[in-house]
Amino acid sequence: MSEIGHGGREIVERILDPRTTGERIKGLKKVPVREQIAVEVIDIAYGFFSPLQGFLGKKDVQSVCKKMRLADGTIWSIPIVFDLSDKEIADYGVKEGESILLTYKDSPIAVFDVEEIYEYNKQEMAKDVYGTNEEKHPGVKLTYQYKDKFVGGKITMVSKPTINEPFTEFLVTPLEMRKKIREKGWVRTVAHQTRNVPHTGHEWLMKGSWLSAYGELPVEKMMVGVIVNAIIGEKRPGDYIDEAIVLCHDVLRKAGYFREDVHLTSISLWDMRYAGPREAVFHAALRANLGITHHMFGRDHAGVGTYYGPYDAHRIFDQFDSNELNIKPVRVLEWWYCPVCAEVTYMGLCNHKDKVQNFSGTLIRSIIQDGVKPPRLIFRPEVFDLIEECANKYGMGSAYVTKDYLANRNPVFTFPKL
Amino acid sequence: MTETFPINIWINEERYQKLQEAGLSAMAQEMLAGLKVLRVPTTAEQRDDILKKYPTAKYDSATTKSIELLPRDAKDRIFSLIVDRKTLDVIEEFLK
Repeated sequence: MSEIGHGGREIVERILDPRTTGERIKGLKKVPVREQIAVEVIDIAYGFFSPLQGFLGKKDVQSVCKKMRLADGTIWSIPIVFDLSDKEIADYGVKEGESILLTYKDSPIAVFDVEEIYEYNKQEMAKDVYGTNEEKHPGVKLTYQYKDKFVGGKITMVSKPTINEPFTEFLVTPLEMRKKIREKGWVRTVAHQTRNVPHTGHEWLMKGSWLSAYGELPVEKMMVGVIVNAIIGEKRPGDYIDEAIVLCHDVLRKAGYFREDVHLTSISLWDMRYAGPREAVFHAALRANLGITHHMFGRDHAGVGTYYGPYDAHRIFDQFDSNELNIKPVRVLEWWYCPVCAEVTYMGLCNHKDKVQNFSGTLIRSIIQDGVKPPRLIFRPEVFDLIEECANKYGMGSAYVTKDYLANRNPVFTFPKL
Repeated sequence: MTETFPINIWINEERYQKLQEAGLSAMAQEMLAGLKVLRVPTTAEQRDDILKKYPTAKYDSATTKSIELLPRDAKDRIFSLIVDRKTLDVIEEFLK
């Protein structure tokens, strides 16, 4: 049975047959890559980035930057590129028309069939994708760090990486997710994109968008699921540690705030670009590949600072025909605490605008830092307790990213040595 | 009226006791379903000074429009000034 993903294309995993691996990689020039590239190899190979089969060539990069589409017209908003310095190209003997073997931490990870080596103006790329050339924008900074040349071509992963605990059960590939959705009997699913430990505002975003996606479906048996898809990738000091994010989301279901038959926790590997509306489009493609039917977009989705308007990520979807995306955007406003309503309530419903009290993950962190336990209406006690547990078990004493954590954490994935 | 940007000093048991002893418990506002907080006003200039002086602090421009994540000892100093001076207008002195 064909599994169709973003762009109406079949999801095809690009992984070598173990019976032919030895022969396929014999004699290939080895090129070591950094973690970001290793992550994107995994994403391409498993179909998270379908219809991409490798790193983009110049024509596709130009089209993505200028038109938010691949050269063949498929919607695609963030260029997925492989960069090398001129010295590396010379030292490793990378040539068009030849294959190389990408390695990560001395393990072979992918055969890269080099089709094209090219230059691309990084200032232009940054401006097109992020709408700014300011280097304090993390996506712009990442772009300016790209090396001299880009290399386009298809990749085939050498062998499947081990996903280490506690992430093992949460990395669900596109083909596996479709199986899970069928097993659960979900007719619709709504993605909740996150890189934070949940407070009740997040919980209500999920519940509200679940209700929205549920619509007219019958209710004798629950037919819709929330799929939390936490982005696991590059961390900055002060972020919550990845383990806390994933496990705290999962505890919301285990503690009964979501029924077992309406909620699932998963992760995707990706270094956030904070491209705001463009990243919203990218997320839509990613979750369409996971077989998810709806994607919730809130205020300032995937934004940073004040680069993007609060609802730019809603409006960007207006330019696409509904049949071009295999996923429906669910546009949501904010949830806040209203002392008159005496509950966490929705901006689109509550009219006590002068009385409402906004809360955020940052505010809650301040509350905890001041030695105060937030009330359960704002922050679930099970999440509060689990944060401390994660701090001790995974975070070297802190639930927030520190230099110690970055240097000594257990890696999310490991490729086998051959 | 000049816009102000609050620093939230969340009141734990120890702080509440000190406020009560100083006769200042009415200064604390109630927020978020039962939490007590002192909302200490800062001007835009003071806000920027604080963020420069304490790089781990953050101005939550997106949601709460408040200065958050000031280190605990900085907040303790601000709280002590409030109790001593019996006013929330202590930031100028705090920044000296």
